[in-house]
Amino acid sequence: MEQFFQQLINGLVLGGIYALIAVGYTMVYGIIQLINFAHGEIFMLGAYIAFTLVMFFPIPLWVAILVSMLFCAGVGMLMDVVAYKPLRTAPRLSALITAIGVSIGLQNLARMIWGAKPQTFSEETLPKFFQQLNPLVEPTSFLNIFGVSFTENAIQFSEGVFLAYLDLSIIILAVVLMFGLNRLVTLTKIGKAMRACAQNRVAANLMGIKTNKVIAITFAIGSALGAVAGVMVGVRENINPLMGFHKGVAAFAAAVLGGIGNITGAMVGGLLMGLAEVFGAGYIDTFIEFICNNIGLGQFYEDEKISHSYGSGYRVAISYIVMIIVILIRPTGLFGKSSAHRA
Amino acid sequence: MQKYKTSKEQIVTFLKNSGNLIQNGFRSKNIVFWILICAFPLLTFVTDGISSMFSMIGVNLTLPSGDYILYIGVQVCVYILLAIGLNIVCGYTGLLELGYVGFYLVGGYTAGLLMRHVGVPYWLILPIAILNGALWGLIRGAPTLKLTGDYFAIVTFGFAEVLFRIVKNEIWLIRDINGFVKDIPRASVFVWELNQNWQHFYHILILTGIVIFVSYRLENSRIGRAWIAIREDEQAAASMGINISRYKSLAFAISAAIGALGGAFLAQFWGTLSAKTFEFWESILILCMVILGGKGSIKGAIIGAIIIGSMSEVLREILSRFPPDYAGARYLIFGIILVLLMRFRPAGLIFKRT
Repeated sequence: MEQFFQQLINGLVLGGIYALIAVGYTMVYGIIQLINFAHGEIFMLGAYIAFTLVMFFPIPLWVAILVSMLFCAGVGMLMDVVAYKPLRTAPRLSALITAIGVSIGLQNLARMIWGAKPQTFSEETLPKFFQQLNPLVEPTSFLNIFGVSFTENAIQFSEGVFLAYLDLSIIILAVVLMFGLNRLVTLTKIGKAMRACAQNRVAANLMGIKTNKVIAITFAIGSALGAVAGVMVGVRENINPLMGFHKGVAAFAAAVLGGIGNITGAMVGGLLMGLAEVFGAGYIDTFIEFICNNIGLGQFYEDEKISHSYGSGYRVAISYIVMIIVILIRPTGLFGKSSAHRA
Repeated sequence: MQKYKTSKEQIVTFLKNSGNLIQNGFRSKNIVFWILICAFPLLTFVTDGISSMFSMIGVNLTLPSGDYILYIGVQVCVYILLAIGLNIVCGYTGLLELGYVGFYLVGGYTAGLLMRHVGVPYWLILPIAILNGALWGLIRGAPTLKLTGDYFAIVTFGFAEVLFRIVKNEIWLIRDINGFVKDIPRASVFVWELNQNWQHFYHILILTGIVIFVSYRLENSRIGRAWIAIREDEQAAASMGINISRYKSLAFAISAAIGALGGAFLAQFWGTLSAKTFEFWESILILCMVILGGKGSIKGAIIGAIIIGSMSEVLREILSRFPPDYAGARYLIFGIILVLLMRFRPAGLIFKRT
């Protein structure tokens, strides 16, 4: 049961991250019907920029996050202007191929600049309460309310269930940013323009909305949110050139699950995808062992003829499988409008 | 109205058409090309000769060895074969396929595992791998028949990635970690094992030639016209009486079978398989070839494969002298090529006027 609650917390954190990235995919898809493959690379770039800033300049992490958001927003807009804008009227598959090209280009550029080896934020660059839990040291709690104790870097609910402050701040940040985005899209003028473009770009243009500007701003917002998620993943796990690809595909799957083009859908889809990945990866080995023991293959399993690390091995594949199933069974996702033209 | 031909008449027409095609293939314009291709292994002796001559007078030229050039030639031929296979789905039926490497993987592991662990001879493996590839093409094709555009692309991508994960994790099937199959025996003719690069060059040249021939025949047949009709307008094609599902499935199966053939050849050529070979980037590399040459054109696929394939191998060699992080630079270049092509020449270098 402890494991279950710990996994639940991990799933929520991962879900928050996926939701932040998935919003970027879904907003762009909603307006120009393009799967922006390169969005995952923006996410990776965000992590690398913040990493470089805090490692080489004496600035705190939150400033680095802000700079990285601005930088990624710029890269997102640049990408739109350079690569996608000339293809607005071209067949949609051309834009998709361009997006793949941009994605591969950025990924390998990052690999050339920062190296293929995974990098981690060093301890002294992070705020004290963000530091990783050390399993060897017994945490000292300075506050204890109803059995929930607050230690230096985590909240301890019971013996084995921790919520690190880092994870807590990811969840809070995700919720705040999502709420802000929701307000932005529903209340402000630019949000209205975005919705108009999503409904009908030509008509919006005729009504005097500068659609190209709106599209650029959409790219900027999505990229900035992706950058935040990138830094968070960088602090929590590590930074490597492939992180954009793996997390990006999972987040895209989340967007599809929620109904691509729908912002609320992306948030819910992200959360579900995070939970699915964590629980899937956490329990699949136990499940396989159980099956093997019950159909008389226990010895076979013991001899490691079947991998004992399916959880980590298939972790990435879970999102692919969810994505394929959703596209085949319900292409509109959970919240998507059922429109006849959905290629 | 066209009268249906009897089977005998059909065979006669087939032979006649094939004869014409071969005759056209050997026209004076093309014959130089064919002679050059066939003499390619001889040309590599020339570079070896030049190197050894210069080394005799004490000058050490750093020319690549002839054997290495031949190795690249074999790789390029395999890429031509794969590009033509991908061209069937991407070019004729007009669907964007991002998971072609999955079929290449199926062929490779079918051949690798059966040859290594069961001991089936290579010439028996080829049809098995082709059939297995076609089977997987149908398995993947059946649920995706209704999809078009980017959703089709995403499903194919996901499918290939799942296959990649399976190969990486199912150690009871592969019998090693990370999808390694080692010491795959090479193909042999009667008792002679083919273990020279020039032998494999002719070997793959024949396979590629057959595939090119089949592809030409398909393009100019009822099937090829049906595919192109589906690409241009699916609904119009359906209303003309073309069975969309049937022809699409056929395209998936044939394309997958060709991919599996390439994989089966490479399994015995390399002697070792590893899951790393079958990553997503490989699909993009093959896609890049098809797009560079022009979707739907066989000549385009061949030229694209020659340009990108040889560039890929040469860059790999050049970049191996740099720190390992720069190995990704070749994919950076392919990414830029894709972006520029889509921007300035979306129909590719060679395109068919329609």
